[in-house]
Amino acid sequence: MKNDGTRPNYLPDFRNPPLNEVVLGVQFSSPKGYQQVYAGEVWNLFRSEFPRAEEHPAIAPAFETFGLPSKGGQLDFATGASHDRFWFLRQSGDELIQFQQDRLLHNWRKVGDQTNPYPRFESMINRFHAELEQLQDYLNSLSPQKLSINQCEISYINHIAPEMGQIVKASDWLSFVRFSNSEPEDFSISFRERIRDDDGKPQGRLTCETTTGIKPDSSRIIVMKLTVRGAPKGTDIESALQFLTKGRELIVFRFAEVTTDTAHKKWGRVK
Amino acid sequence: MTRTQSNAAFSLDVSGTSTNIVRMPAQRARILISENVSTWCHSVMEQLEMLTQLPAGWDGYQGVHVTFENAYFTLRMLEAICGPETIAPQIVPGEAGDLQIEWHTMKGDIELHVIAPNDVSAWRALTGDDSDGEELELTNDFTAVTEWVREIAEPTTGAETTAA
Repeated sequence: MKNDGTRPNYLPDFRNPPLNEVVLGVQFSSPKGYQQVYAGEVWNLFRSEFPRAEEHPAIAPAFETFGLPSKGGQLDFATGASHDRFWFLRQSGDELIQFQQDRLLHNWRKVGDQTNPYPRFESMINRFHAELEQLQDYLNSLSPQKLSINQCEISYINHIAPEMGQIVKASDWLSFVRFSNSEPEDFSISFRERIRDDDGKPQGRLTCETTTGIKPDSSRIIVMKLTVRGAPKGTDIESALQFLTKGRELIVFRFAEVTTDTAHKKWGRVK
Repeated sequence: MTRTQSNAAFSLDVSGTSTNIVRMPAQRARILISENVSTWCHSVMEQLEMLTQLPAGWDGYQGVHVTFENAYFTLRMLEAICGPETIAPQIVPGEAGDLQIEWHTMKGDIELHVIAPNDVSAWRALTGDDSDGEELELTNDFTAVTEWVREIAEPTTGAETTAA
């Protein structure tokens, strides 16, 4: 699936959205023949554009399952040796690829003076598509195989900040909160909702986590992270891209719903 | 080994952030500890931990340990299936990193074969039922199996005992 680069005209759109970071990711079965010692070869696939590398703890496998009401993900267990998570960063630091033996992710973030433009989803997913194909080709050279993708996720992280010196009044920005008398000092609110496939079967979940935070200059902001995670219809790259595209649309619509008209004016809503 | 859950590289919920946003209220300012009342949890965790560390050739042939992805998926599956009173299942490793969750009680049998994440074969047979049992192919929705487990692997309630 090659995205034609055109943003669907039915999606809400903003000239200056408070977007701070976007993450596209897939989780897959551990590839045959792959060991951590080969991580440098994976870096070489992307090294010309992502010349810096860092090591981080691995992300645990995550799965959205359905049945009895449950918070999910409450149980975990320790295992033995594990693959690290590697960050391959662009020199500017505004984009990176995260790789571990069962995941590939692509992040964009604001850096420096925070004015670097968001490259837009259509551009990001085309690049992520190419990166997935590159990784799949490499793994296929180790042992004949295709990526077997079992979970996809897309996150949009927004930093909602009033003008310098103004207080954070939640109801100015968030349509689902209204504190009647005085604003709380801080808050943390989250909700989850099921997303369904075309047959009405549960496919994944959208999670919205909203919390107050403090920037280095001591000013207060609201951080809103919207994530869609779930199982693609198939285990191939095409199915993963379709899931991520659907997830993006769900996030954009939900973001527009949970934020206020006042906020939309500030962010220059054009649709 | 500590494994993080966040995919965000730079935001407030990841250590070593570059944006230096401090979450307020602090995420772990207060930790409420409640007793885990689920009877199956401890047993399942122990079994999975052991099965993910099986040595190569554990079955005398080419058997490999239960894969971490199958173990994690099984945990998420059981969270969606089991209530707090569900008795702990037995877990049987397969030779290819797969595993089977089994309940065998006086009321019947349930077997859930986790072949891979989102690929589960489910079977159950009730005691006294002469058929070959019931089979389902499942991915991530285990709603149908919750009823099986309630019937076969949970204690009979007082009301049911009285009615019987």
